Amino acid sequence: MSLLTQDEYRAIAAGLTLPTSAFIDGGYRPAISGKTFTSVNPATGETLAEIAACGQEDVDFAVQKAREAFDDGRWSKMHPSERKDVLIRFCKLLTRNERELAVMESLDSGKTIYDCETVDVPETIHCLKWHAEAIDKIYDQVSPASDDHIAMVVREPIGVVGLVLPWNFPLLMLAWKIGPALAAGCSVVVKPAAETTLTALRVAELASEAGLPKGVLNIVPGGGAEVGEPIGRHMDIDMVSFTGSTVTGKRFLTYSAESNAKEVVLEMGGKNPAVVMDDAENLDRVAQHIVNGAFWNMGENCSASSRLIVHKDVKDQLLERVALHAKEWNVGDPLDPETRLGALVSQAHFDKVASYVSQAKDVVIGGNAKDGFVDATVVNVPGNDDTLAREEIFGPVLSVIEVTGFDEAIQIANDTEYGLCASIFTANTKRAIRGARALRAGTVTVNSFGEGDISTPFGGYKQSGFGGRDNSLHAHDQYTQLKTIWIDLADDADEAVD
Amino acid sequence: MTPIFNFDGIYTPVVTPFHEDGAFNWDALADVIEYLIEKGVHGLISGGSTGENYAQTIEERIEIAKFTKERINGRIPLVVGTGAMMTADSIALAKGAKDIGAEALLLASPAYSVPTDRENALNALAIDKAADLPIMLYNYPHRTGTMMGEEFLDRVGRSRNFCGIKESSGDINRVHLLARDYPHIQMGCGMDDQALEFFAWGSPFWVCGGSNFLPEEHVALYNACVIEGDFVKGRKIMSAMLPLMRVLEQGGKFIQTIKHGVAMNGFETGGMRPPLKGLNKDDKRALEQVVRVLKATIAEITSEGAK
Repeated sequence: MSLLTQDEYRAIAAGLTLPTSAFIDGGYRPAISGKTFTSVNPATGETLAEIAACGQEDVDFAVQKAREAFDDGRWSKMHPSERKDVLIRFCKLLTRNERELAVMESLDSGKTIYDCETVDVPETIHCLKWHAEAIDKIYDQVSPASDDHIAMVVREPIGVVGLVLPWNFPLLMLAWKIGPALAAGCSVVVKPAAETTLTALRVAELASEAGLPKGVLNIVPGGGAEVGEPIGRHMDIDMVSFTGSTVTGKRFLTYSAESNAKEVVLEMGGKNPAVVMDDAENLDRVAQHIVNGAFWNMGENCSASSRLIVHKDVKDQLLERVALHAKEWNVGDPLDPETRLGALVSQAHFDKVASYVSQAKDVVIGGNAKDGFVDATVVNVPGNDDTLAREEIFGPVLSVIEVTGFDEAIQIANDTEYGLCASIFTANTKRAIRGARALRAGTVTVNSFGEGDISTPFGGYKQSGFGGRDNSLHAHDQYTQLKTIWIDLADDADEAVD
Repeated sequence: MTPIFNFDGIYTPVVTPFHEDGAFNWDALADVIEYLIEKGVHGLISGGSTGENYAQTIEERIEIAKFTKERINGRIPLVVGTGAMMTADSIALAKGAKDIGAEALLLASPAYSVPTDRENALNALAIDKAADLPIMLYNYPHRTGTMMGEEFLDRVGRSRNFCGIKESSGDINRVHLLARDYPHIQMGCGMDDQALEFFAWGSPFWVCGGSNFLPEEHVALYNACVIEGDFVKGRKIMSAMLPLMRVLEQGGKFIQTIKHGVAMNGFETGGMRPPLKGLNKDDKRALEQVVRVLKATIAEITSEGAK
């Protein structure tokens, strides 16, 4: 899809009808309390919509409807190929409404229209389609039991799933969760982040139009205490999948322990290292990866490579090239297709990132933070104990740590409570593979920054993750229960066998 | 629940008194309004079918609503009916309601055209957009030919103004559906002979034509069921009211009967605008008989509680 002009995007934005109610049991419903919260465009500070501020009673209602849908089998027992058909139709409707979704996403989150049009929306559709197409291609197993027995190992949808989403990729994280959950046959209750609710509501409406039965996909907007915690503590939710901060993620383990021991899958924070050795080839290309990894999506990205661990012999050369490429990351109106860095998602988050930027003592590039926007910023830090090297900033801030050798680089890369992603840049194959094995992270990339793709699992080691993976067929597993069916085939003793 | 507006209590769809020549009898209307407020009803509806809206122009309806709003003078809320054949007329009524400071709208499906749920919902959302006031939906498929179905209810949820529904289908399954699946929409009784059932399912309000002339008795049932939660007493009162409900709901002369009831209380009503005609002698006698017994019985039941 070719990009439009800034004026055209503004015209589309002005004409949008924004959804404001929760989407439960196949329809839009205001919060039972009647309460609302204000959704703000972070790039302008203008009010976008007054959105239903749901609470415990709305969660209860959504779960009740999701449970009814699950138990009567309107989705969970639908023939797999029919489930696939519905989800493929859903993807077609999303494609038809791609532009509306992209503009809505940009307005709500501050993300650039460029990213929304070229990454977020197409990847969202691709993800949902991938999981849909897998539905009727995943087989159960028969175990190697004796002739007198047959044992089937089958997977069944886990039931009612609570999905709690972050604000950094509102559409894409929705797809990462609902793709495999719906494919597995589950009913879901989704809590979008309060900062970014709009597209999830619209997506649910489109799913309904595509023929997804009532009650299967419910979107319950609201705050963490009002909606997130009730989901975590709900006695009739079988599983929660959460993406967000490590602090909040850990709470879901507590909620589970204190309620019904529901399954919990967590995708949490990261302070991801990019290790550049002195033998790295093509430093210009390396610099491009470093810049992409650090600044893409304003650095509001748990997989952002926010620590550059670089050998002293190539540091200066690399930083020169990083500075050249960082210049392309201009800050501005998210609806301008030329803009690469939009607004941070909210005033509160901007304040937090700005306070980190103000702590930087040795700024190499950038360092400006004003009116909700932060420049691409690179800072030298004295060592890995520095706050800017340890804490997840979730903004476009790259902290540079100098090292003198491979072992030191790996040791520093691993010296973090997180373990989501890591990358290593080296021309030495043995060193690349040794490094990839030694780095304690869920995804390790060699000579590139990336997250893999829909076909590869995504998730973290250590305090970056718990209990499962998004993407790939492994994501399907976490929304299912494993069941053994053991059948006795023994003939009666006196029955002859020819 | 704290919806955008609470429709609590007895809402009276006020009759429209006429002079013999068909002109509005403003003095009589003022008297009826004063009487209803004095007798403790909780809200008034102007421009409902009981007010003979189908026999009035849009301008006349807005004029009546304005007069009613002024007479109420802030003491209880006014809900303005927007039911009309044409969307444009409904929008004009909604805007008129907003202009005069009405508290809410009563929004019915357009009669005769039989819109689908989707069409009906888009119509309702257009009317809502014109006024941005709290809305009491009015589901009366026998009159409009259209049921406000689940798709309709799901779609109108785009706006949180839709916070009440006067349910007049007579289908008890609708009561169960609304109570269980649409908890954000306050369900109100719009089918008088099922008032007890509605209250049992948690209805906070009752839109009752009969309260035009028996306000205290209707308030008594509301008090017993909703305020006191005493359904034994409620059943006794309902039982005493059922003969009236039969006359009203099952006699085919609902509005005529209400209007005669108002006349029985000494107010000039001036009969009906065409096409309807007033009650005949036998019907009048039957109503008078029913009302006499009902009043005495309910007075006895409510005074028992006071002993």
